Amino acid sequence: MADTAVKEKKNPVLDLLKKFKREKEPKEEKRSRKEERERFKKRLATLTPAEQKYLRRKQFIDNVWPVCRGLLVFGLCFVIIYPLLFMITAAFRERQDMNDPTVIWLTKHFTKNNIKDVIALTDFWKTLGNTLFINIGCSVVQVLTCALTGYGFGRFEFKGKKLLFGVVILMILMPAQIILIPQYMFFRYFNPLGIYHMIKGEYINLIDNALVMYMPAITANGIRAGLFIFLFRQAFRGLPKELEDAAYLDGCSPLKTFVSVMVPNASSTFLTVFLLSVVWYWNDYYVSTSFFTENSTIALQLKNLRTTLQMKLFGNTTQQVNAREVIVWLEAGCLISVTPILVMYVFLQRYFTEGIARAGLTGM
Amino acid sequence: MPKLHLSYEKKKGLYGYGFIALWFVGALIFFIIPVVKSFIYSFYDVKPDIGQLVMSKVGLANFKYAFMTDANFRKNLAEVLGQTAWQTPIIIIFSLFVAIIINQKFRGRTFARAVFFLPVIIATGPVYAIITGDLSTSGTADADQFSTMFSADMVDELLEFVGIYGFNDKLTELLSTMTSDILNLVWKCGIQIIIFLSALQGIPSSAKEAAAIEGATAWEFFWKITLAYVSPMILVNLVYTIIDTFTDPTNKVMEQMLQVQHDWKYGLSAAMAWSYFAIVLVVVGIIFAIMNKVIYYDN
Repeated sequence: MADTAVKEKKNPVLDLLKKFKREKEPKEEKRSRKEERERFKKRLATLTPAEQKYLRRKQFIDNVWPVCRGLLVFGLCFVIIYPLLFMITAAFRERQDMNDPTVIWLTKHFTKNNIKDVIALTDFWKTLGNTLFINIGCSVVQVLTCALTGYGFGRFEFKGKKLLFGVVILMILMPAQIILIPQYMFFRYFNPLGIYHMIKGEYINLIDNALVMYMPAITANGIRAGLFIFLFRQAFRGLPKELEDAAYLDGCSPLKTFVSVMVPNASSTFLTVFLLSVVWYWNDYYVSTSFFTENSTIALQLKNLRTTLQMKLFGNTTQQVNAREVIVWLEAGCLISVTPILVMYVFLQRYFTEGIARAGLTGM
Repeated sequence: MPKLHLSYEKKKGLYGYGFIALWFVGALIFFIIPVVKSFIYSFYDVKPDIGQLVMSKVGLANFKYAFMTDANFRKNLAEVLGQTAWQTPIIIIFSLFVAIIINQKFRGRTFARAVFFLPVIIATGPVYAIITGDLSTSGTADADQFSTMFSADMVDELLEFVGIYGFNDKLTELLSTMTSDILNLVWKCGIQIIIFLSALQGIPSSAKEAAAIEGATAWEFFWKITLAYVSPMILVNLVYTIIDTFTDPTNKVMEQMLQVQHDWKYGLSAAMAWSYFAIVLVVVGIIFAIMNKVIYYDN
């Protein structure tokens, strides 16, 4: 403590800053609210009635609005956070609490058994590992390939560009359902280069293999890839042409220009797309349910948690469990599956919320 | 004369092909071919066999079955369309409102922003479905009431508390649907808020200054400045919201199509998906046609 004090004293800049602060603060305090009001009234008297009316109204709104805004923001935040709070409290209850009308938030019987049950039932750690492998891997790969594609669309002129970009737009618009069945057949009877079957007389079954997620991601066709390509295109299009020309004059090839000039300038878009990609892979069950017969990702486990519970947990006991009591396990499942991604969000939300705003969405 | 030396622009064009080549290969395998195939399937009765699909031509029978015979498809379709029709305007207005609020400076703004974007993280997954209490078919009314925040009773109680008994039933009903869906709506606004926020930050300060000098009130500022500058993003948000609602895996039509696919009725599933997509396209087309006349573009 003493050391720091000495150091601070020695630093002339800090001293000066402190002096500055000390001088400024009392000045502002001096002008009390009463005085301020008096001054305001004096000034008002010198103005025309119309101006007076305007100023009065403005002052009124300036005073009232923050209060309304505070209430609104608080209320809406509460609505959003409510389910999460409920999740946390319900996950640690015993099931009879759900039938107890006196238990609304705080449980009377705290228990960790629900969490333990769900972790055991869903083989959580293995599933988590598997999900992370698919999730992070695909997201990284997809960000890179989508960036390349977006760069191609954003900064180059070539024949057929409009038509090809139309395909990208179609990728955004089309419900996944349309392409799921042919994709399923493609992976179920995988035939590399179209000759594998002729040579070996059999097909490769890729269902339940992580490749079913990786192959589309590697070719910029993964989950919501169309939207990501679009975002990248917007971001790259917004960068000044001089950057490119300067790089060209310095002897950069287009690929080198991309890597060393364009990518650093679009870093916020990269982060945003990566985060969105992670989130959407993490949450996806619509696509993966077609390609995985087992519940090998967290989203699938959670989607089928009710069935799993029915089969494994309540199957060997004769006692009846009503729908209301199942909630404690369901919410426990939600809690453990949301936690990893929430932790990520807590650390990265700053970049996330600022990044999207600057992700080139304006000027579409 | 053979052209050996390509101009810079032409070379650039070739590089453009190079940059999109990877995507193009993928799009061919994972998008274009499947799209064409599924379009063909929709006119066939398709049964899976080893290595291929056994197909027999049935013409429009799949479409006919989906719209005429199937008990649920038309009903689900109407429900999704209706839902989109009344939810989209509310989502747009609400997210614009929230965006304007969190664009202002106040204490705790960072926290508020973080909370408002939280749904983006969770709302696409099965967690959301469990939260709103309708994930599986066995979800009962009990579960619903316990999982969603506002039950209809709450509105009644509130009205009775204020001293209104047997108030106009229609209004109560409207209020209760609004409140029971508020969670639903708030949770669907994440991306839209972000898009509006970026548009708001793009309003040039010269416009703000001019308005301040002219003595515009906040109300006038909103109608004459904000709305004009934000209008292109309203179109973007409208389209995004509509597509998001239509392709939401938890909506009834998408669930039904997945179910049909699980029952190995590939032809029917494809026919449903294509007619659904046609409807989406028509809706988006109409929106574009209307909005293009209203939008203000600042150059």
